[in-house]
Amino acid sequence: MKRFVFAFIAAFIFIFLWGWFYNSVLLKDVFAEAQSLFRPRGEIIGLFHWIIVGQAGLALSFVMIYASGFAGGGIAAGVRLGIMLEILAVSARCAIYATQPFPAKFLLLVSVGGFIEMIVTGLIVGAIYKPAVARTS
Amino acid sequence: MDWKKFFIAFVAAFGFIFVFGFLWYGKLMHGAHSEVPALWRPEAEFGNHFSWLVFGHIVIAFFLTLLCSKFVPAGGPGPCAHLGILVALVYVGNDFITYAVQPITMKILCGWIVGNLIMFGVAGAIIGTIYKSSTPAASQIPNS
Repeated sequence: MKRFVFAFIAAFIFIFLWGWFYNSVLLKDVFAEAQSLFRPRGEIIGLFHWIIVGQAGLALSFVMIYASGFAGGGIAAGVRLGIMLEILAVSARCAIYATQPFPAKFLLLVSVGGFIEMIVTGLIVGAIYKPAVARTS
Repeated sequence: MDWKKFFIAFVAAFGFIFVFGFLWYGKLMHGAHSEVPALWRPEAEFGNHFSWLVFGHIVIAFFLTLLCSKFVPAGGPGPCAHLGILVALVYVGNDFITYAVQPITMKILCGWIVGNLIMFGVAGAIIGTIYKSSTPAASQIPNS
């Protein structure tokens, strides 16, 4: 349980920092191109707690899935899970692209960032969380 | 891996996800989506991008089937529905973030969350019911 909590906290901190750096700094201009699809900056800051809750939920569900069936495989299994979950997220973005007028470039770059985020999250969770059996053997 | 059962489970999951998506997001939530028309493509433009929607659903069904078959090798609707709901929670996290950055309403957010949980839970149960490995293996996902 202790390692579960550590893995969750580490994953959450990484997702938060990466999300801020990639989306707010690196992709700032790309987001500006699709400004009409986003809330005004002041409104986003007012709803910032939803981002925190969403990222915490993302980290928690990642660790829960990893602990449920992947934990024996270590870092490699964590990275594999991250890749699989990001492919699912990319497929959801395909549906978003069909329904919302996002530029293709925007969704492509967000997906690149998503792959990096989920692979590193898998690496962190795989390195920290060990199932009880693996720890005692 | 039993590829025949994998394929049948994948097709069934795709069929369910596609029909559910049409009914839930396209019909049931149509009114809620109409409250923020600026966010969506016009009808004709959506038609031109429809293949992306189908492709997205195919990939979701394929990778959900792959996740279930790899990590719940014994199959069974309960453990696979459990895995499906955990996967849905990843999407729910993204829905919260979307709510913060895009001008969707609380009604849309709640509809997406409930839709994701039902869609992935039932799709997981369908996959688990159909896919059973030819070699008896113990499930790695604890039955919830």
